[in-house]
Amino acid sequence: MIDRIIIDGLAFALPLFAMAIGGIFSEKSGITMLALEGIQGFGAFCGALVFAYLSPLVAGGPRVIVYPVILAAMLGGMLFSLLHAFMSIRFRVNQVVSGVVVNILAMSLTIFLTGLVNEGLTGEASNKIWLGAAPRFNVPGLSSIPVLGAVFREVYIFSPFIIVFAVISVVLLYRTRFGLRLRACGENPQSVEAAGVSVKQTRYIALMLCGLLTGLGGMNFAYTFSANFSPTIYMGYGYLAIAALICGNWDIRNTFLTCLIFGFARSGGYQLILKLGMSSDLSDLFLMIPYVLTLLLLLFFSRHNHPPSALGADYEYDRR
Amino acid sequence: MTGQEKEKRSFRIPSSRFLIPLGSVVLTFAVLILIFVLIGRNPFTAIYSFFQGSGLGLKPSYVKSSNMLTDFLSYLGIMAPMLLGSLAVVVGLRGGLFNIGVSGQMLLSGFLGTILVGYSTLPPVLAMPLIFLIGLASGAVLGGLIGWLKYRFNVHEVVSSIMFNYIVSFLTGYFIKTKYVDPIIRSSKQVLPNARLNVTLVTQAGLKLVIPIGFFIALAMAFLIRFYLDRTAGGFEIRMVGFNREGAAYAGLPIRSVMVKSMVISGALAGLAGVVYYMGYYSTIVPKDLPALGFDAIAVALLGNLGPVSCIFSSALITIFQKGAVYMSSTTGVVREIASLVTGVLLLFSSLGVSVRERTHHYD
Repeated sequence: MIDRIIIDGLAFALPLFAMAIGGIFSEKSGITMLALEGIQGFGAFCGALVFAYLSPLVAGGPRVIVYPVILAAMLGGMLFSLLHAFMSIRFRVNQVVSGVVVNILAMSLTIFLTGLVNEGLTGEASNKIWLGAAPRFNVPGLSSIPVLGAVFREVYIFSPFIIVFAVISVVLLYRTRFGLRLRACGENPQSVEAAGVSVKQTRYIALMLCGLLTGLGGMNFAYTFSANFSPTIYMGYGYLAIAALICGNWDIRNTFLTCLIFGFARSGGYQLILKLGMSSDLSDLFLMIPYVLTLLLLLFFSRHNHPPSALGADYEYDRR
Repeated sequence: MTGQEKEKRSFRIPSSRFLIPLGSVVLTFAVLILIFVLIGRNPFTAIYSFFQGSGLGLKPSYVKSSNMLTDFLSYLGIMAPMLLGSLAVVVGLRGGLFNIGVSGQMLLSGFLGTILVGYSTLPPVLAMPLIFLIGLASGAVLGGLIGWLKYRFNVHEVVSSIMFNYIVSFLTGYFIKTKYVDPIIRSSKQVLPNARLNVTLVTQAGLKLVIPIGFFIALAMAFLIRFYLDRTAGGFEIRMVGFNREGAAYAGLPIRSVMVKSMVISGALAGLAGVVYYMGYYSTIVPKDLPALGFDAIAVALLGNLGPVSCIFSSALITIFQKGAVYMSSTTGVVREIASLVTGVLLLFSSLGVSVRERTHHYD
C-alpha cells in the first residue's frame, strides 16, 4: 500500500511540478500567469493530435511515438503562452483578464477541433482522442530497494524529462545571468531597462519557457490519468499548479515540496478510501481533497510570502 | 487643458466607446464566416440558423405548440441568467476583483433553491420570492467568503473562486447522486411546477407560452446596478477602489471592506443567475457539471465595456450564439461547440478592445 501511495503520488506531483515551474518563470518575470490551465490543455491537445496521426504510420507503438508527442505538446503549450505574452506585453491587457481569456479560448478551441479531427479520422464527432495506456518502466537495480524503491518503480516516461528540465530550470533561474535578469524583471523592471536589457524580450523568453514546461505537464496528465484527450483535461490542474507555486513562495525548490504534498495527499486519500471499503459515491468527496487542501494551504501561506514586486503591473519602458 | 482640447476629448470618447465593441463583433463575425468556409459550409445560412434557433428568424417548420414566439421566449429565458451573470462580473471588475467563480455560485444557489423550495408544495406567490431570496443569500455568502479570504488572508480571488467552483461541484454532485437523483435522467429530480420561475400561458390555438420571470428581474437588475454604481456613494466607493486602490486608501476609504462588499454584491447577482438558470430555464441539475454560462458571462461583461446597461445588448448577442447553436447544429451538421469558440474569439477581441480603449484614454 505504501508503494502505491508513493507511485501514484509522484505520478500526480511531477506533472503538477512541471506546470508550476512554468508558472514560476512567468511570474518571476513579472507576468501574472493564470493561463496555465488553458496552456496545458492546448499542449495536451497538440500532443494527442500528433499521436492520432502518427500511430497508424509509425511502427513501434507508443514507446517510439511518445517522443514526437512530447515535443508537439511542448511546442503547442509555447504557442498558447505566446498568445498570453502577446496580449499582456504587446497589448498590455490586464494580465488576469488575459489569462482567463486564454483559458476560455483554449478550452473552446480544443473541444471544437477535437470534434472536427475525430470526424475526419473516424467519421464520428466524438469529443475524445484515444491515447491508450502510457508507457511505464522500472529503473533496474534501484527499484528493488525495499520501501524507497517505489520511487523508481512504474515510472512514466514523462518523469525523467520533468526531472531533467527541473534541474536545468533551477540552474537557469538561480545560477545564470539570464536568470538574474529574469527575476529582476519581476522586481524592478526599470532597473533592468537601465542596465541595457530589454524587459519585454526577457519576458517573452520567460513565457516561452513557461509554455514548454506547461505543455509537457498537460500532456503528462492527459496521457497518464485519462488515457485520452477530452474535456476532462480541464479539471483545474493549472490552478492547482498556481496554488502550489504560491505556497512554495515562487521558489522552484519549495514548490517541489508543495507539489509532493498535493500528490501524496491525493494518493493517500485514495488508498484510505480503498482500504476502508467505502462506496464509490464517496469518490466524489475524495476528489475534492486536493482543492480543499489547496485552499487551506493558501490560507496559511498567502499572508507571509513575497510575490515579485512588479507582478502584474502594466509596464512600458518610457513610463514609470 | 484648453477648452478646445476638452471639446475634442468629449467628442472622441463616446466614439471609441461604441466603435470598439462594434469592431470586435465585426471581427468575430469575420472569423465565424472564415471557419464555416474552411469546413465547407455556406456561412450565411449557417449564421442565419443561429438567429432562427433563437426565435429571431422564421424556421421552415415548427412542431405543434411552438412557433417563433415560443422560441423567442425560450431565448429570453436563457438570456436572463447570462445577463445576471455578466452583472456579477461587472460589479466585481469595477471594484478591481475578478469573480471567475460565477458558475460555482450559480450551482450552489440553484442546488439550495431546488432542495429547499423546489420539492415543496408552496403556492407560486410564496415560492418565487423565497427562491429569489435563497439565490441572493447563498450567492452573497459564497461571494463574500471569497472576498473575506482576500481581505483576511490575502488569497488571490481567482484561485480561491476556482477552488470553490470545484468544491461546490463535487459536494453538490455527491448529494444529488445520493439523495436527490432521478434514476432515469441521471440528474436531480425535476423541480415541481409551482416552484418554477415561469408563468405558463396556453393560448386557444394550443400554443404554450412560457414567460420567464427571470428576464424581467434581470432587466430591472441591470438598471438598478447602473444606478447603484453611478449614482450612490456605495457604488462610487467600489469604482474608486477598482480604479486606483492606493488613491482610494489615501482618500481614507476602508478599501478591504469595500472589496468584500463588491464581492458580496457580485456573488448575490451570480446566485440570482443560478436560481433563474436551474429553476427557470431548466428544472433539473446535472451532477458535477459547472454551467459554462458562468464563464460566457465574462465575455458578455467585457463586450459590454463593463457597463450594466450595455450588458443587456452584449448578452442578447452572445445568447444568440449559445441558444441558436442547437438548431444550427441540426441544420448544418457542425458541432455545437462552435458557439463556445465564437464566444472565446469574441472575448479575445473585446479584451484587446478594452486595452485599446484604455490607451486612447491615456493619450487623450
